[in-house]
Amino acid sequence: MTDLPPGGARGAPTYTSPGRRSSYASVVSGTAFSPPISNSLTNILNDSPSYPPSSSPDGRPRRTLSGADADMQSISISRNMTSADAVPPESRRYCAWAASDSEINFSVSESSSSFTPSYLIGSAYIEGLEEAQRAKLVAQHREANGSSTATSNPPLSTSSSNIHLPRMAPSHRGMTYDIIEKEPPLASDQPMPLPSQWSADDGKDVLEITGNAVRYTGPLHKTDHEAAAVRADHPMPAQCGIYYFEVRIEAKPYHGYVPPSAYFGPQRTPRFVYLQFAYKRRFSMVAIGFSSTKASLERLPGWETESWAYHGDDGKSFFGESQGQGRTYGPQFTVGDIIGCGVNFHTREAFFTKNGIFLGVAFTNIPDIPLFPSVGLKRQPPVYLVTNFGRDKFCFDIDKMVKPPLNEASLMQELVAQFLAHDGYVETARAFAEDVAAEAASLQSGNAAPLNQYEVEEDHDAIRRNRKYTFFLSEEDSKQCLEIRSAILDGNIDKALKLTTAHYESVLEAQPQIQFKLRCRKFIEMMRNVQDLTEAMNDSKAEANLRSRPASPNNENAIFDQEMELDGSENMGGVKLEPEDLKMDTDGDVPSPTVARFNELLTEAVQYGQRLRLDYNSGGEGVDLKMLDEVFSLVCYADPKSSIHGHYLDSEGRVAVAEELNSAILVSLGKSSEAALERLYRQTEVLVKEISDGGPGAFINVRNDLAWQRDSE
Amino acid sequence: MSANIMSRTPSTATPVWNQFERKVDEVKTTKTDINHLVMDYLITNGYPGAAKRFAAEANIQLKTDLESIHERVEIRSAIYSGDIKLAIEKLNELNPECKANEINQILDQNQSLHFALLRLQLIELIRTCTSVPNGDIKPALEFATLQLAPRAPTNPQFLEDMERTLSLLIFPKDQLVPGLATLLDPGLRKEIAARVNEAILEHQGARKEARLRHLVKTRAFAENKAREAKKDIPDKLDIGLLSETHDSTHSRNNNHVNGSTNGNGDIVMTNNGDVDSMMS
Repeated sequence: MTDLPPGGARGAPTYTSPGRRSSYASVVSGTAFSPPISNSLTNILNDSPSYPPSSSPDGRPRRTLSGADADMQSISISRNMTSADAVPPESRRYCAWAASDSEINFSVSESSSSFTPSYLIGSAYIEGLEEAQRAKLVAQHREANGSSTATSNPPLSTSSSNIHLPRMAPSHRGMTYDIIEKEPPLASDQPMPLPSQWSADDGKDVLEITGNAVRYTGPLHKTDHEAAAVRADHPMPAQCGIYYFEVRIEAKPYHGYVPPSAYFGPQRTPRFVYLQFAYKRRFSMVAIGFSSTKASLERLPGWETESWAYHGDDGKSFFGESQGQGRTYGPQFTVGDIIGCGVNFHTREAFFTKNGIFLGVAFTNIPDIPLFPSVGLKRQPPVYLVTNFGRDKFCFDIDKMVKPPLNEASLMQELVAQFLAHDGYVETARAFAEDVAAEAASLQSGNAAPLNQYEVEEDHDAIRRNRKYTFFLSEEDSKQCLEIRSAILDGNIDKALKLTTAHYESVLEAQPQIQFKLRCRKFIEMMRNVQDLTEAMNDSKAEANLRSRPASPNNENAIFDQEMELDGSENMGGVKLEPEDLKMDTDGDVPSPTVARFNELLTEAVQYGQRLRLDYNSGGEGVDLKMLDEVFSLVCYADPKSSIHGHYLDSEGRVAVAEELNSAILVSLGKSSEAALERLYRQTEVLVKEISDGGPGAFINVRNDLAWQRDSE
Repeated sequence: MSANIMSRTPSTATPVWNQFERKVDEVKTTKTDINHLVMDYLITNGYPGAAKRFAAEANIQLKTDLESIHERVEIRSAIYSGDIKLAIEKLNELNPECKANEINQILDQNQSLHFALLRLQLIELIRTCTSVPNGDIKPALEFATLQLAPRAPTNPQFLEDMERTLSLLIFPKDQLVPGLATLLDPGLRKEIAARVNEAILEHQGARKEARLRHLVKTRAFAENKAREAKKDIPDKLDIGLLSETHDSTHSRNNNHVNGSTNGNGDIVMTNNGDVDSMMS
């Protein structure tokens, strides 16, 4: 955009022309090469299954160029300045932030996480990072409120919010130096921030670095072969599994201003075609890769120890130990190309992409040291490198590589994992995650060569997701849900009621039918106890019958009286006890303590039944009188289990009650009441119904899929 | 049973969406059914730890003994880790009544599976010898001569598979054409392991695939057919996977589900076959 000849040291006074400044402003404020806001957000939110590489048919990216809106930039500066001046000092930082970033339109509340590369959205690493940054932001707020000097004294932390500080003063380059520092890595328990721009103090003398744009501006007297490299502000965090960034190589026109539309877009001027031709003739002496801090920045990455890079002039891949002997790797690249560099920390491999096309693994056995994205370039031919650290959509579909669409197997895994977590099967969810992890591990434990990275990554991702599901409910809630569930499954309804009342009182209030069902279940459980005892007594009676029968009339009569008494007093709802049957049951040599226990249980059950009757006689919301009658009728049978309402006594009924209560608790906690698996099932049934009318669905019965009872499992 | 308490917030989208949603909400499912669906998956696909836990937590009686799941898991692990020899041995041990020198029933009945396993073993041998410079390719060649060559002529597909596999020896590993590269992909191990799992299940008289898988396929099939017939269904059928954890992953998961239903021709194809066989 500006036509200053290359050369001259950074920060030289002659460079403070307004035009020059505005270019910084543009780069810094995000106009430089950010697509319009609507795009950048859609990119992140609407992850279309496979988007085409964002390049026009001739392979050149369709993006706003660095020179875009040169005349608007001074406006954006002044706006920044005014907005920063108009507000109280403590919030100035945020204002400056918001204003300078207005094209990108990240809200201030998320300002601490400047951007999340699309492929890392939802990853555990980003979550950790966001959490740390949120905490930091809170701390900063506090600090800012406490002292009004906060803005002039920025905290020297690694929070990426600092990275944006230079944007406050786009016209003041010196300040940029002062604020950006080579930040030390954080303590290992804190997630490392993502690289977000080039480190400005790298290559001070020969490179012009602004945010994510780099160009060679070395002194004129140096030879054309002079090179320089730059590293990003932070190393690539190994925790994120795969790290990826892209560099676009652009030509800066030598003489005269060429409108941005000339670079890209349909109406290219003939002059541009000429320029393009001129640059195309020589492949750019550009190296794209990564390096540790050991690597000198005086030479291109790839030629130094602990540096790895893909070189544009010959398409070879170089790394430190190769002693400058490159390996034939990919095509050459030059102006107009977008080169991507990715490091898979899982397999310790690196790969490159060119204009959205995967070029294959370039390096293996990358050591476990902090590695910074790095680019290097030579003076000739002059190029301008603009880097996308993930703020914008990548040309290469990295998302697909990191998170491939679920195949059938992983879809099922995910459905089950989510179901288990959702429905509160905490232990199972944990065991399932372990089983899946073991399965994935066995796939990797092959003695042979390293396995395909995508596969590994996919499994890794699945494990991570499972872990996430495990803690879908808070630890506390999972524990409560689990305890309530197991109480019900054990038949201990009292405990479940107590726990629910203690922790989720509103659930029982809001859903009286659940309370009703729980209480009915309690009655049923009492009847079950009676039944169990009856069976035990029958057993001992049978035993006794084998022996001679020393019946004790006294004992028998006593029992009989007792039963009569019971019958007389417990006359509820037309339900009568059958003393004959009960007498029959006790008609053996049954030790009296058992009988006493039996009576006690029965009395308790009947009394509880009476209370139930009293409470629910008038009906009310959620009360099922028919069920109540049926449940009470259990009392009439000598062997309730084999009666027509015996099914109430099945322990299966406990599961139903437990699930219903669980769902209600989940709803009250604001969780979806339905697992994805259940939704899938319902959808399937409706879909099949849709195509059933004489269509292909007529023969499908979804329910058969669930007909586990009829099947020999 | 639980359906009555599920009051989903009405969707903000089109009436079509609402109508479909309503229908979906009206479908009755019981937790017991879903639990058995999950249990069946855990057993069939070999997750013994989870199956054991789930039996306890969901109060389901385990009708399959865990030992048989473990056997399948061991075979799967052997295949996953590339130890095909061990896998074949274990497969043979599954039927104690067969003497060791007899041909194993499962593999005997399924020649193509047997060949696939042997070919995988050859691939692993080739992987081993090409992973080091100047690796000894003799074991791989010997294995191909002794084990695969006699079987290859019985089936033209076998022959082609064997030839393609052996060409792995010729090309440098990092310059393989995609067709050959897939042979070295762990996906192949997964695929073979799944086939072996199915064969064992079938042999034991169990259903060879989990009901859940059938359900997923049916859904994909039904959605496709319904869309073909231009039925009133929403553009995107969200099942809510992960939507609770991250807002912006919402659409991503839509894509996942759609991807596995519409995008994947394979699934749709198998689907067709399956449903047809169900109809007959």
